[in-house]
Amino acid sequence: MTSADAATGTEPPLFRHAGVHVLGVRHHGPGSARSVLRALTELEPDAVVIEGAPELDALVPHAGDAGLVPPVAGLVYVADEPRRASFYPLAEFSPEWVALRWAAERGVPVGFADLPAAHAFALASAAAAEPDAEPTADEPDADEDEGSDAGEQRPAASRLDPLATLARAAGYEDAERWWEDAVEHRRGGHDSVLPAFAAVSQAMAEVRAIEESREGFTDVENDRREASMRRVLRAVAAEHEVVAVVCGAYHAPRLEESAWPPKSHDTRTLTKLPKVKVTATWAPWSAGRLATESGYGAGVTSPGWYQHLFAAWRDGTDVVSGWLARVARELRTEGIDAPPASVVETVRAAEALAALRDRPSVGLSELTDATTAVLCGGSELPMRLIHDRLVVGSALGSVPEHLPRTPLAQDLAKQQRSCRLKVTPEPQTVSLDLRRDAGRARSLLLHRLRLLGVGWGTELPGWGAGTFREEWELAWEPELEVAVVEAGLHGTTVLDAASGKVAEEARRAGDLATLGGLVEQCLLAELPDAVGPVVDALAERTAQHADALALLRAVEPLARTRRYGDVRGSDTHRVAEVLRTIARRGSVGLRPACVTLDDDAAEAMRAAVDAAHRGLALLEGDPLAGDLGPAWTQALGAVAGDDRVHGSVAGRACRLLLDGGHLAADEAAARMGRRLSRGADAAAGAAWLDGFLDGDALLLLHDATLLGLVDQWVAGVPEETFEDLLPLLRRTFSRYTPPERAQIGTRLRRGPKPAASSSEERLDLGLGMPAALTVAEMLGLPLRAAADVLDDVADDQEVSA
Amino acid sequence: MTPTPSPASPTTSEADEQVLRPHAEQAFADELAALAAVDERPRPPRWHLSPWAVTTYLLGGTLDDGTVITPKYVGRRRLMEVAVASLATDRALLLLGVPGTAKTWVSEHLAAAISGDSTLLVQGTAGTPEESLRYGWNYARLLAEGPSRAALVPSPVMRAMESGSVARIEELTRIPADVQDALISLLSEKTMPVPELDTEAQARPGFNVIATANNRDKGVNDLSSALQRRFTTVVLPLPDSLEEEVEIVRSRVASLSSSLALPEDVAPLAEVARVVQVFRELRSGSTDDQRTALKSPSATLSTAEAISVVVNGATLSAHFGDGRVNAEDVAASLVGAVVKDPVADRVVWQEYLETVVRDRHEWADLYRACRDLG
Repeated sequence: MTSADAATGTEPPLFRHAGVHVLGVRHHGPGSARSVLRALTELEPDAVVIEGAPELDALVPHAGDAGLVPPVAGLVYVADEPRRASFYPLAEFSPEWVALRWAAERGVPVGFADLPAAHAFALASAAAAEPDAEPTADEPDADEDEGSDAGEQRPAASRLDPLATLARAAGYEDAERWWEDAVEHRRGGHDSVLPAFAAVSQAMAEVRAIEESREGFTDVENDRREASMRRVLRAVAAEHEVVAVVCGAYHAPRLEESAWPPKSHDTRTLTKLPKVKVTATWAPWSAGRLATESGYGAGVTSPGWYQHLFAAWRDGTDVVSGWLARVARELRTEGIDAPPASVVETVRAAEALAALRDRPSVGLSELTDATTAVLCGGSELPMRLIHDRLVVGSALGSVPEHLPRTPLAQDLAKQQRSCRLKVTPEPQTVSLDLRRDAGRARSLLLHRLRLLGVGWGTELPGWGAGTFREEWELAWEPELEVAVVEAGLHGTTVLDAASGKVAEEARRAGDLATLGGLVEQCLLAELPDAVGPVVDALAERTAQHADALALLRAVEPLARTRRYGDVRGSDTHRVAEVLRTIARRGSVGLRPACVTLDDDAAEAMRAAVDAAHRGLALLEGDPLAGDLGPAWTQALGAVAGDDRVHGSVAGRACRLLLDGGHLAADEAAARMGRRLSRGADAAAGAAWLDGFLDGDALLLLHDATLLGLVDQWVAGVPEETFEDLLPLLRRTFSRYTPPERAQIGTRLRRGPKPAASSSEERLDLGLGMPAALTVAEMLGLPLRAAADVLDDVADDQEVSA
Repeated sequence: MTPTPSPASPTTSEADEQVLRPHAEQAFADELAALAAVDERPRPPRWHLSPWAVTTYLLGGTLDDGTVITPKYVGRRRLMEVAVASLATDRALLLLGVPGTAKTWVSEHLAAAISGDSTLLVQGTAGTPEESLRYGWNYARLLAEGPSRAALVPSPVMRAMESGSVARIEELTRIPADVQDALISLLSEKTMPVPELDTEAQARPGFNVIATANNRDKGVNDLSSALQRRFTTVVLPLPDSLEEEVEIVRSRVASLSSSLALPEDVAPLAEVARVVQVFRELRSGSTDDQRTALKSPSATLSTAEAISVVVNGATLSAHFGDGRVNAEDVAASLVGAVVKDPVADRVVWQEYLETVVRDRHEWADLYRACRDLG
């Protein structure tokens, strides 16, 4: 805008300011937003152009929709590859949003101007393919530009920070603060706001002149972007008399009509650019995501504060006292006294600070310092709360349902509603009871989403017996929208997409354990259509696989599927068939697989044996168990009885057999003696003991047989041998905690038969009853059953007495 | 007040020679005068300087006429801004911090810059009576003449109220809780009734209170929330960076050695930096390069203690050594500062000596000196 144009700002309002008016702003600047609104009211343009990929034009029809609540983001993604996406976040205080809503409310045509995302994505992948190519800055004005490539981060080229240059000229060290003081906090009078925009544009022109005078300066990226913007502007200006352009201040000087290069120049800049197909949609955004700290360079550090500023200016309320009243309310919810008298003092302190710092008005830093000193007694801790809850805030935008969203997103929204799960960015914990339909429906949705890679919920490690309970932590991050779009490639509903994704993964998965895990996941997520392909793949791989380790690893997930499948009412016959094959082949293959194991392989094998054993133990009461149990026991016996097998595995097998009652105690004692005798290799002996005693110290404490075994061996071993083995023993026992070791010592001192001291272990049922009943209630046992248990205990006592 | 020459200069006036430590308003009279001369900003009633000038006085800077103001407080600017802004809005100021974080120093300079008088001081102890905060009586006169204004002995706080200046209360949390309570209504009403004379002392504009308290000794006599609410609290932290702390120690040592008549350059910067580094490493529980974890001794190891270690070393070398502080000179007081508990702290110190000091080749002299001390 020339100075002649600026002078017309004082003309009578009936005068039409013909031409293109460039409104250079700071993205997400509330002061800029206010100025833009005033400028638009003043200019009454026939058309509005906003900086942003022109693909966003498709979203304009919904801009006036009451269901579109900021913060929202225009999401532009590559149609075949939704992972590559750009976001254009808009908050209520964003100048772009203000302009968009202003135009939408008045029916003024509005459009976006920038380098089309179709080219930008294609150029980005071309640049990525040529790593040697000159790095081009992705975001020319990274500190203030809104478009940010979520997918590709490129190193920022060293460049002059235009705002910092201007701030230094004004004697400020901090560019942000200068802009706040000079532009955002400028108290609007009643004069025209247009000269201010002209001044910003001129100042920026100066800075860019300095920047371009540096040697070797080229900025292909910006040239392309600005050429694209001008191309749009030419087309709009041809049809409309008064055009307003809202763009980042950095671009303002190049968009002034007087500075336009010939049309052919721009056409040349923009020819022969590669292209990809892109799609645009609205996505809800959150205040936390707007804040820089969350990783989007486009953000602002204090969206909550900006929102407050914008609202206060709009409604004409007092910024400082309004803010501190909110701060006081938050502090009170956390039990910090914040009486009104102190709030008044804080207001005064903040104002005095602003005066001391020569600032035109009270800013966030003054408010924070005053709050810390007056309301929080100098403590920084409560300020973190204020920062999270107010300075950043937890605002989450929403998008009307009839918008062009992917079918999957629509289905998801429907299910979220029917499950009554709230979509919020703050983490919330939900506890699901799978015995109720509502709980099951929620659990299914969450499991399916997790399979789809939409990490809305994280399952919290439940309590051991939690087969009918699940605890989830839910937090909806805006980037999950992208994950939803991406998941949409697999199907149009959550169910279909999850089934499709699992089937695809099953085709690709190489090893049995992954497949076994998938089967379990299918069950949890109740995907009947997917179970078929996965089990087929499993059966096929089983036939091909001879690796006992892989077979054994697949046993546990399958066994869990079989065991708990019925709880969820799924059909597990096919699973049972596959499990039978796998377990049989695993049992047969166990002994040969244990021949030549080094230490690492032995560790893996021991874990697999343990897992398989746990899995098979789950099948108790299942007809399958009778089928598989003996074969497994036999396999373990073969491993345990062979001295050539690696000690770690053999020791473990011995212990499993002992626990299961398949090995006599004296036989186990003999094996222990043999393995730990002087002639045997000390390291192998240690490994055996390690495998044998692995697990909870409680077992050793309460299993008299086991403890007796170890005790007898220690008592009987010759002194020299014992001294040789001492380091190994220490290593094994050092795994237990000191109190556990102390308890073991006490138990041993008391003698081999803990029953002898039954007098002190005798339960006083009268005393114990209330505690037992409480425990029963916590476990959800019916009281009748609890009483039965107690009766049993009483009977036992009578017998032993 | 007349500007006094720097205490170290040979033309020191007789009066100054008689005090060990002149008040801030005397030691820095020339700086205060220079600031007052250029200061054209609005001053709150009875303030000798504007809030801007007070901040400049504390944080240092160069005035338009070329006068260099030495920094009194090295640290975060915003803390001093908050403190001055609070005093400018008639709110009492509470400076909190662990021992040796310059609380008293800051409060003295604030009072000197604002009221030109840092002597209206109550030194809080467990035995501080209410009379120290309110008023007492000259009993001889009281008996001879009966209650009269002349028989009343005003406390420093009462005198500050009447003259409209800043009163200082040191170690507020050491004062018994019931005595502290006398401040509550005093700070909100800004009047002190004297029922014996049926009169009252009303504070004149410019009156304010700066209190200091130690947050390490918490629980001595915790402030009631009613009292806490009447104070703006500024927590003075330990210095952020090594450079900052070295600068604090160096400048304080320089000013202390001149008042102790020690040579100017007695403490070389390298020696100061080494002492400060030892203090910081032991305090934070890890070496400066974050590679080695250390145990921390029971001592606070504040900056003030580092200053006293260096001054001690300076005195030793000036009187018994070659006039330049070296490792032997600092070693004795360094060990004394770290090892406060003869058993636990000695282990910590030995560990530090053997694992850190020994491996630093350029610290070999310090290692030897400390080893020789045992």
